[in-house]
Amino acid sequence: MKHTTETRDDHMIVFLDGRLDTTQADAFEKAMTGLLDEGHTKIIFDCEKLNYISSSGLRIFLIMQKKMMGVAGKFTVCSLQPAIKEIFDMSGFTMIFNIQPDLEAALKEE
Amino acid sequence: MQKHTLRLENKISELDKIRDALEEMAATWGLPPQVSMSVNLALEEAFTNIVNYAYDDDERHEIILHFKLQDNELHIAIRDDGRPYDPTVQDEPDIALPATERPIGGLGIFLIKKIMDEVKYERADNMNQLILKKHIVQ
Repeated sequence: MKHTTETRDDHMIVFLDGRLDTTQADAFEKAMTGLLDEGHTKIIFDCEKLNYISSSGLRIFLIMQKKMMGVAGKFTVCSLQPAIKEIFDMSGFTMIFNIQPDLEAALKEE
Repeated sequence: MQKHTLRLENKISELDKIRDALEEMAATWGLPPQVSMSVNLALEEAFTNIVNYAYDDDERHEIILHFKLQDNELHIAIRDDGRPYDPTVQDEPDIALPATERPIGGLGIFLIKKIMDEVKYERADNMNQLILKKHIVQ
């Protein structure tokens, strides 16, 4: 999996691209821990190009949510592909996360 | 009836071979992409559990996956020579908990059960065998 980051207004956007499986999870988690250490209070995961996720990947989403709640920050997930959305539904993650249909809607979240 | 066997080592990087095998089966067996993806997820969870928790030594072990497609049913048997472990009796996570109370982890087996129509465990000849079945709707 590849990921790129971009700052827009006061949001830190992470674009996820490819497969977030067990082979990729450690590297991605380290990168995200680094991002949290920078002190961002609004982080968006844009999942438009995320086409596979396993529990190792879901775990990182949960860590982000918990850490952002801990600093009274905002963690938003957007643009989930239908197959990925189904896995979020199965896991009960749809209720936990602020999920927006697209990046534009995610950026409007305050 | 279609058949395929995958012999893997007990290391996480072998997940790439599971992905490749499923992509190939999706193409040659005509599995719908959604099915191939969710089955890949179920197999990743099962395989990762074995690699991480089944062995008491640092030796090389073989994990064998047998795939069979017959009468619109995908049948997968995963065999390993690790310590006896029945994942089907593991407690299910409470997926209604809010984020602050959700434990990190414990989702793997739960996802396997959600994705597959049947999950069965057998112990025979000092091997664990996990049998997964999924009905394929074309």
